[in-house]
Amino acid sequence: MEKTVIAVGDSSKLEIIFNTKTYKSKVTKRPKIQTNEGPPDKRVSITATITPRPDSTYPIRIKPYKLDMSQLSDKVIDKAEFTISNISEEKLDVEMITFSKELFDVELPESIGPGKTIKAVVKLKKDATDKSFEKSFTIELSDQYKSRFTVPVKRIVRNSTGKQASTRKLDIGK
Amino acid sequence: MKQFKLLMCFFVVLWILAGTAWSAPRLTIPDADFNFGFVPQHSKISHDFWLLSTGDDELKILKVVPG
Repeated sequence: MEKTVIAVGDSSKLEIIFNTKTYKSKVTKRPKIQTNEGPPDKRVSITATITPRPDSTYPIRIKPYKLDMSQLSDKVIDKAEFTISNISEEKLDVEMITFSKELFDVELPESIGPGKTIKAVVKLKKDATDKSFEKSFTIELSDQYKSRFTVPVKRIVRNSTGKQASTRKLDIGK
Repeated sequence: MKQFKLLMCFFVVLWILAGTAWSAPRLTIPDADFNFGFVPQHSKISHDFWLLSTGDDELKILKVVPG
């Protein structure tokens, strides 16, 4: 949470982190938010279709399906490339739904032709080079189901003492 | 005249108390549902929800309980 006291007319961001672990198929989580408004508590809802075989998804396959931008030595790692293969028989438009704007940019094609494989890249923001994080980005396709795919993006930065930065978040799925 | 002033003070205090009693915090979540779609196993994913304070009193987030 950015802040726990929100002035009248103001807003705050609540980050929900979901650890997919060994879940299978469709999972919905509904964290409850308790406030001084009193009951009933309000809820947010997240849904994910967790796939044990991310190398056999349809209509696209993303390789690698998880991105690791960890920097454990002096070598600067500020981007991660990946490919998206359209294994369907129709042209698919690709729309970015959400990503961590303050940490990285995602360069994606607008569309992918049938049977084609394209390259895409996640580029770290300059302000984020010293940050460790576990985030993700979500894209939506133009197929009949409006299929969505979420790609985890992880970065661990070890400082000179060998310690890594940590952040306080609500972690679901434990 | 003194009685009138006292009466006025009483109404002012009553008005302030009534205002305090009726003002209430309110949480509004414009997009409360999010679909991640396909996600690999053994990974951490995240989404930001916006919480809006739409009442007429300060909103306090007391606790977020995993569901």
